[in-house]
Amino acid sequence: MDSMFGVSMNIIMWVLLGALGVSLAVVGYVILRSRVMFIMGVRNMPRRMAQTTLIIIGLMLSTLIIAAAFTTGDTVNHSLSATSYDLLGHTDEWIHQTAEEDGPPRSIESSVPEEAYDSLRTALLAADIPEIDGYLPVLLEDVPVINPRSRQSEPVVNFVGLDSEGLEGFPDVISITSGEALDVASLDANEVFMNESAADDLATEAGDVIQIFVQNVQYEFTVVDIVTDTVLSGVGDFDSKSGFVTRLDTLQELFQRPGEVNLILLSNQGGVRDGMALTDAVSVKVDEVLANADLAGEDLRMYPVKRDLVEGSEEAGNIFTTFFLIFGLFSIASGMLLIVMIFVMLAAERKSELGMARAIGAKRGHLMQMFMSEGMAYNMLSAMVGVGLGVLVAFGIAQVMRTIFGDFFQIEPHVTARSLIVSYSLGVVLTFVTVTFASYRASNLNIVAAIRDLPEAEVPNSEAGSVRGFLRGVLNAIIVVSTVPVGALVLMLRGQSFGFPSEERDPSERIPLWPFLVVPLAPFYVLALLVVRLTRDRKPESMATGWLLAGIVLPPVGLVLVALQDRRRPIAWTAGFATLGVALGALLIQVGLASDTAFAFALGSSLVVFGLAAVLAFFGLPDRPVYTAMGVFLVVFWGFVAGARLEFLFGQLDGDMEMFFLSGVVMVTASTFVTVYNADIVLAVLSHVGGFFGPLLPAMKTAVAYPLASRFRTGMTMAMISLVIFALTMMSTMNLNFERLFLADDARGGWDVVVVENPNNPIADLPAALEAVDATAQESFAAVGRLDIARESRVAQVNLEETNFDEYPVVGVDQGFVAGGSVPLSARAVGYESDRDVWQALASRRDVAVVDRFTVESGGFNFDGSGFSISGIDPQATEFEPIRLKIRDEISSLDAQVEVIGVIELGASASFIGVYVPADAFLTVFGKPFVSSHLVALEDAGESKTIAREIEAALLTGGAQADSLKELIDDQQALSRNFFLLMQGFMGLGLFVGIAAVGVIAFRTVVERRQQIGMLRAIGYKRRTVALSFVMESSFVTVLGISSGVGLAVWLSYFLLTSDEFPTSSAGYVIPWLQIGIFSGLAFLASLIMTYIPSRQAASVPIADALRYE
Amino acid sequence: MTNETPPSTEAPPAPAADAIIEATDVVKTYDTGRVQVRALRGVSLAVGRAEMVAIMGPSGCGKTTLLNCLSGLDVIDNGRILIEGVDINHLSDDRKTEYRSKRMGFVFQFYNLLPVLSAVENVELPLLVGGVGATEARETALAAMAQVKLTDWATHKPAELSGGQRQRVTIARSLVNQPAIVWADEPTGDLDSTTADEIMELILSLNESQRQTFVIVTHARDVAEKTDRIVQMVDGCIVDEQVTGRKQAASGRKPAASGRKQAASPPSQA
Repeated sequence: MDSMFGVSMNIIMWVLLGALGVSLAVVGYVILRSRVMFIMGVRNMPRRMAQTTLIIIGLMLSTLIIAAAFTTGDTVNHSLSATSYDLLGHTDEWIHQTAEEDGPPRSIESSVPEEAYDSLRTALLAADIPEIDGYLPVLLEDVPVINPRSRQSEPVVNFVGLDSEGLEGFPDVISITSGEALDVASLDANEVFMNESAADDLATEAGDVIQIFVQNVQYEFTVVDIVTDTVLSGVGDFDSKSGFVTRLDTLQELFQRPGEVNLILLSNQGGVRDGMALTDAVSVKVDEVLANADLAGEDLRMYPVKRDLVEGSEEAGNIFTTFFLIFGLFSIASGMLLIVMIFVMLAAERKSELGMARAIGAKRGHLMQMFMSEGMAYNMLSAMVGVGLGVLVAFGIAQVMRTIFGDFFQIEPHVTARSLIVSYSLGVVLTFVTVTFASYRASNLNIVAAIRDLPEAEVPNSEAGSVRGFLRGVLNAIIVVSTVPVGALVLMLRGQSFGFPSEERDPSERIPLWPFLVVPLAPFYVLALLVVRLTRDRKPESMATGWLLAGIVLPPVGLVLVALQDRRRPIAWTAGFATLGVALGALLIQVGLASDTAFAFALGSSLVVFGLAAVLAFFGLPDRPVYTAMGVFLVVFWGFVAGARLEFLFGQLDGDMEMFFLSGVVMVTASTFVTVYNADIVLAVLSHVGGFFGPLLPAMKTAVAYPLASRFRTGMTMAMISLVIFALTMMSTMNLNFERLFLADDARGGWDVVVVENPNNPIADLPAALEAVDATAQESFAAVGRLDIARESRVAQVNLEETNFDEYPVVGVDQGFVAGGSVPLSARAVGYESDRDVWQALASRRDVAVVDRFTVESGGFNFDGSGFSISGIDPQATEFEPIRLKIRDEISSLDAQVEVIGVIELGASASFIGVYVPADAFLTVFGKPFVSSHLVALEDAGESKTIAREIEAALLTGGAQADSLKELIDDQQALSRNFFLLMQGFMGLGLFVGIAAVGVIAFRTVVERRQQIGMLRAIGYKRRTVALSFVMESSFVTVLGISSGVGLAVWLSYFLLTSDEFPTSSAGYVIPWLQIGIFSGLAFLASLIMTYIPSRQAASVPIADALRYE
Repeated sequence: MTNETPPSTEAPPAPAADAIIEATDVVKTYDTGRVQVRALRGVSLAVGRAEMVAIMGPSGCGKTTLLNCLSGLDVIDNGRILIEGVDINHLSDDRKTEYRSKRMGFVFQFYNLLPVLSAVENVELPLLVGGVGATEARETALAAMAQVKLTDWATHKPAELSGGQRQRVTIARSLVNQPAIVWADEPTGDLDSTTADEIMELILSLNESQRQTFVIVTHARDVAEKTDRIVQMVDGCIVDEQVTGRKQAASGRKPAASGRKQAASPPSQA
């Protein structure tokens, strides 16, 4: 992939390499200037190998997920583009009729008549474009094929005719046996080359005689050789590769299209891959030729097919990378939480050592350096392992994708050096930032308390709750935020930081003041510019101006105030940063509302609420009610925002996949606050109903009491597990609800089998056609209906200011379809009592229509407003005023008006797409159908698969394709379900983070509580009670995390799926309890396994030894 | 020294016929990998029911090791320990634990309370472990809290209590299951002298009222002299035993210095 979020990957790589360089430079500085700190840090690594292993696993997970996402992107990109190059060979562009849509050959219905082709040929040869080394006229047809020898048949195979004169620049008809390029000129009129796919499907070998059918007339051809799959050998699309090739004149004669071609392929100078570089130059010159040539009234254009497909591959690669990265964000966020927690716990474990180090002269900066050295040593190692494992995981994903998408394109695992560099650098840099933060936190200790291993006493803030203290906190927070880069540098270089209590600062090491005067201004201007940019084309100019003014005026005022303050007093950092959060939140809300962006609005609102809670707590309100109210509010708020329940207040806001991640992070944070501040209720309940648990009660009590006493640890672990479980539950719930919607029996509209005729062999009456070949399948028919599909249909709504025609399928329905089907409707026009009334109207009137649900959804079928859509029908309504549409045949320009009287239900709309009109109206506008589908309702729907096979076998010579509708829908769903499972598996990686956290805590707890374990054993705890207590403790935290994740996801998905914005709203809401149970159970089991060793260690602590030492 | 009564120099009384603790030739060696430290070198000691014995000696002499071995917290290498006639070292870990939970209480220098539980929850823990129902356990624990005069502090966490209060909670915890023996390792070691006196008075009064056996390891002579007998240890051996004024006062005799000494061998490292 060449870009990510619109930024060139090369730029991203160089920026990350720069950041990696800075990280390494910091470590280098520590090695050079504070070697002893580096050695102390690194020597801590082998002290507890089990813990070290867990830390490395925890640190590498982020890199693993990043590397897996990038490598998956590379794989998709490489596979798709390789498939495109392989299939197109030397074909770089082609010329076809303008009216046609661009796309692979099968989707092109272009037809260039003889006269136009001759003129074009003459003009192109006269122009003598040097960048082009070959022109190849091609004719394409679909035919049914039988191989009598192998007794295999295929209803639709692509048949290609090539002009041997043009083949010089296209050495792409290659024998798979000799590897040589073959020339169709060598073929007789009854000979063909068959491609590999067709040969596989029909079990055909060179020398076989095959039968094809045109207008129900049989023709025989000898397969001279088997050739590779390319466009020239009949590959029509990624999912339609079977084909065979003969001479152009043979095919023209067979189909009675003398002199006519479909496409003129162009080959640029150069090979398969490098020829594409000349596409721009070719485009200009060919366009000139097309503009000047006399093309007998035909409108021809050039289509850069190779560039389009290769760019499409790249885009698909980008989409996959983004998709995996965004879904991996949950795991990455969990991983970063784990890093912080690991280092905070390491600091707790080494508290007395650190206290001693401080006592004998080490500064805080030195402790930071020590921790950072250790962290970076882990980091560099684990990032490397993470990248390696990430690539392996991605290759595993490629294997799974091969089973899912293998029918469409060949998946080849692939990774680029750039992706490896980006993944490694990003992993190291993310961990470096996190480790730096954690090291700062760890280094911030009270010497005496640390040496004696006492709880860290809070420094009383005499200004707590006062306005003065609050203002100082805010001002200092502004300064710190403004000076993060300089501050970090100073921190490293001088072992000092702005904001440390001044009595500990050596006057000789005072930090220069100028950075604090200059740097703070910059972010305000950047912020103001950002606002200007974001809102430039939106709403009030004054808003941007206001922020710009604030940016100019506030910092100098703040600086003066800060300069005047008494630095000896403690600073209310939390209140300060919280207030900044409120300000930033307010800005984001404003930006969000001005630009209708849900992300900015929801993030801003959340920041305001978080910030306000912290400020209220600063002013003395009790933590518990404040944070509980905050958490509950945010959880409710997010449910309402996601479910579009606040549109009446804030209007419609647009969101995308990023909202999924943001909602998870905010709701999990909010829920974690609520839980840790209220989980003592569990303890209270335990105390009251204690008798119920019998001898387990003491173990349960300690198991619950300890996690409640360590809010930070419990909250972090809970959040890690909760985040991933949230993502998994959301995904399962969304998938199940969508699956239910489209898999319901209604989706088939009462039909069981669909038979699509071959346009070359139309079927007027299906039962009659079957009877004619002595088939018996028709005896199982309960009803038969026909749908006529137009070749070139356009649709427009007529009651609008402008009548804009968009391409959209127009389908004619016959009496049989009306009588035998029961396609459900979600809405009917006023005056129609039932769905049946609506369908009956299509049988009795000529001027009515029924449309699929996609046409009335916001954004239409494409969801982005492009293409055809109807305004004036509320997707949620069950009744509407009739809307008038105009249907038009693009070829004849004939049109007619119809009145929309029904909207098909969403579930059925996936099977019945288009504007359904009476057969008479259809024939009036379109003359005859391009192709017809025959729908069959069976006496026994369970026989659909068998009957479909019987029909196809009976009508094989006509090339009709028959499928069981249920099977088709099942196949489609299986594809999306498998992809969802793949994504779930990928996200499940994040559970390792939560489980690792449980393990780290459990190991640490055994060390930490050694003496208490001794005491418990002394007063009568048996070994197994101690072990059980540890297991229960981990389980309690895991269960909290799982419950929170599942609860939040169910809450959010309920609002989302039942909102009017979602098509699922009418189908009811279901929860995939089984799936949730499976992954929650697995997570729980893994945490039990993780706790097994530490709980055993705890149980075997020697009592006397444990009691001996304080 | 706050006790004005000089120690007895007469021979100690023979252990009462209903000795609750009988240790004979107890040997305990710690293997630290490179060196072996002989912590107890054939210690013999008998303690009668309701007797209060203090074990004294310099740091590292084996006082706490002896207490741990006698109470079954640690295993011995040689010798025999009978508690209420039961050879505690021949019990399985589970049986030993059950025995401890029902018949023994412990008081430690640093209280060893669970910081995450309230005072009363700490006190009721041995009862819950012993299978007593939650309601009964709570009532008994509150009664024990009342005995140590901490009813008002029952719902406070240890961190919210003073050192003396914490030690009272520990004492309440040690007595809540009506044990036969209370083992106390430096119960006043972490307290100021006034609080230490209060705690000792509490222990003495409980000993008097509830007739439990107390074995107290202490460095403080004044604490030791409030007990019935002082056992002096040096280098893993009992070198002297003295009957204190309290015992003599109780039995109507004058206090006398110890008359019994065990052969003391120099410390050695194997």
